[in-house]
Amino acid sequence: MKKVLGNKTAIALFVVPALVIYSGIVIVPVLWSFYYSFFSGSPGLKWEFSGFNNFVRLFMDSGFFDALKVNLKYISIVMIGQVGLGLGLSLVFYFWLKRFKNTIRTLVFFPVVLPTVAVGHLFQKIFEIQPNYGLLNSLLDSIGLSSLVRPWLGQAATALGCLSVMDIWVAMGFYAVIFYGALLDISSEVMEAARIDGANGWQLFKRILVPLLRPMIITCLIFSFSGTVKMFESAMALTNGGPGNATRSLSMYMYDVSFTYNNVGYGSVIAIFIFLLCVVGSRIIRVFDKEQL
Amino acid sequence: MKRKLLSLVLAVIMTVSLLAGCGGNSTETTEQTVTTAEEKATEGTNAQETTGASDGEDPKLTKHLKILSIWAEDVDNGVLINEMCKRYQEEVNPNFTWEYEVVSADNLRQKIATLAASDDLPDLFAYESGKPIADLIDAGKIKNMTEALEEYDAMDSLNPAAVSLLQTLSGTDDIYDLPLGLNVEGFWYNKELFEQAGCEVPTTWEEFEVVLKKLYDAGIQPLSCGAGDKWGATRLINAYLVRTAGSDAMSRAANGEAMYTDEAYVTAAQKIKDWADAGYFGQGVTTVDMTTAGSMLMTGEAAIFYNGSWFAENLNDETQNPAGEDGIGFFNVPVFDAAVSDENSYSMNCGNILCFSEKSFDEATGWFVKYFAEYMGDLAIQIQGTVKGYTYSETPENVTGYTQLVLDTINGAQSAFTWFEATMGSEVSSTAQNNVQTLLAGEMSAEEYMQSIQEAHDLSN
Repeated sequence: MKKVLGNKTAIALFVVPALVIYSGIVIVPVLWSFYYSFFSGSPGLKWEFSGFNNFVRLFMDSGFFDALKVNLKYISIVMIGQVGLGLGLSLVFYFWLKRFKNTIRTLVFFPVVLPTVAVGHLFQKIFEIQPNYGLLNSLLDSIGLSSLVRPWLGQAATALGCLSVMDIWVAMGFYAVIFYGALLDISSEVMEAARIDGANGWQLFKRILVPLLRPMIITCLIFSFSGTVKMFESAMALTNGGPGNATRSLSMYMYDVSFTYNNVGYGSVIAIFIFLLCVVGSRIIRVFDKEQL
Repeated sequence: MKRKLLSLVLAVIMTVSLLAGCGGNSTETTEQTVTTAEEKATEGTNAQETTGASDGEDPKLTKHLKILSIWAEDVDNGVLINEMCKRYQEEVNPNFTWEYEVVSADNLRQKIATLAASDDLPDLFAYESGKPIADLIDAGKIKNMTEALEEYDAMDSLNPAAVSLLQTLSGTDDIYDLPLGLNVEGFWYNKELFEQAGCEVPTTWEEFEVVLKKLYDAGIQPLSCGAGDKWGATRLINAYLVRTAGSDAMSRAANGEAMYTDEAYVTAAQKIKDWADAGYFGQGVTTVDMTTAGSMLMTGEAAIFYNGSWFAENLNDETQNPAGEDGIGFFNVPVFDAAVSDENSYSMNCGNILCFSEKSFDEATGWFVKYFAEYMGDLAIQIQGTVKGYTYSETPENVTGYTQLVLDTINGAQSAFTWFEATMGSEVSSTAQNNVQTLLAGEMSAEEYMQSIQEAHDLSN
């Protein structure tokens, strides 16, 4: 084994093919996108060089800023919701779940494997108001809170919130299972020692579990961040951009600009911005990781 | 030994599966060489005759037609296109084959834009007339249909009204597409609900407002609207705008003679906002799509619904229409000022149109187009009782009440106006449609709405 891995040619033979394919398929289009951002129009139809016009336009485009706001709101709510609720659920599994452990864990994880479009249709029916009240509105109506009955997906004020609820519901089982695995790794002696020292529930959580789970929390946050910054399919499936542009994310805006308005050049600039957003966001989350060490 | 055998077998399977891919390609190339040989033979004989391989019999050339459509095979125009291909293959040209791909109407423009950019447009595809097609014409991607129809002697099969409408929409003298409809639009209403509230069919806009109020007071939802599909709502703005400001109001704003923020336009947007605020659309209209709105009309949950004459297909279907053969009526958009726009002026369109790719248009396609144009009129009347913009030879005898109503209305129309987004480019049209939902939800004022359209217009020009 050592002989194979020590041999430089062997390493090259294993790594180079994958590296070539990866560069070709992933890195080259990214660089191509940078090149495209200096043009306007669509390749094949009206393709003209336009210098920095697209970049200037980015700062004056209200559609772009609206999409950015939607993205940022969505990222913050869903990231905290998914990871936070996932962590909460895993604590419930660890401390309180005595019977039917496997069934409940399976049920909680189940939404993760459902197809996005199916979940979108499911929630459309739940939030429905015309021609019949959906699940949520019927419940509110029957317990006497008719004043709260409203078109949840039909108004900008609530559409993004409903989308967030849907995505948190889908993914929290996933993070619950990950954190549960991490909790199992913590030796029970540490917990017992803490209890003997008189720690109550909250202190146990804050002073023992969080520091020990820190690497896992950071990993999950990065995972969740990379998922939410690419917000696309779930918004498409549920609201298709929402009433007006209330649930139109940067990715969806980029898609519209590039393919519906036939302006691939400007779309590439938006793509570059999303790329930078990912890089900066991951860096910020990593900062919390390094602090401790 | 066993392990070696297993790895050998797996290696063989892997290589064979790779070869199968190559194998497929080589069979295709052999087919193509046969085709070119055949075509050369036919062209050879034809060259000896006078020009116009289009005269005489269909030479039964081998053709595989790639079709991109927005209708599933068993729905609406999907049925007609597939039936047409089937009959062409059975009755005229057994060497004709086709493949049928469906994409959702929302994604049509994107898909075609991508295919146009990679120069890979399907042989035949559905598209939107108006501004979108003008871009394809400029780029030279689609076949000039006037030329094709005249070459194959099929121009007479098209209804002249349809042709003139298409010419206006693409802004050219020749047409570059085939119509899939000669539709009028207006208000469909539920007769029983009208009786219940004691309403009469309105002819002026004042009467219309009175009718709406009466229905609302009687506890009936006056209007159902497919604001979920967006265009259902902008049609209403268009209706009021045209009646108050003339049928060229939208094109004047598009070419700069007027601004979208002028008073007439804002008032039109304000009109439907007032209706939404008064509750005439019911709750949450922005979540209702056109199909649901239509069924609400037919089942008696709403009294009035704006849609086009293609709605007759749903009305003719017993399983969809509990109101029966005589339960739904139709009236044109009520008149505001007869001098500006009178009652014989209808909103008309040719539906989603069909385009042929310039690159792949060959003799075989031309013969198919000839057959298509000549028989589509009859086919549509026979199967669905709808009019598609082609002349039909059999005067329909036992057509249903709805089809007769549509035919009578189309024949009675004296002038036409186009829909809200007809003169708008892609970006402006998307802004107008997206923001109408915000307008109806009460989160945008009419001035802001028209301002957003004006801004999008300025940005894209």
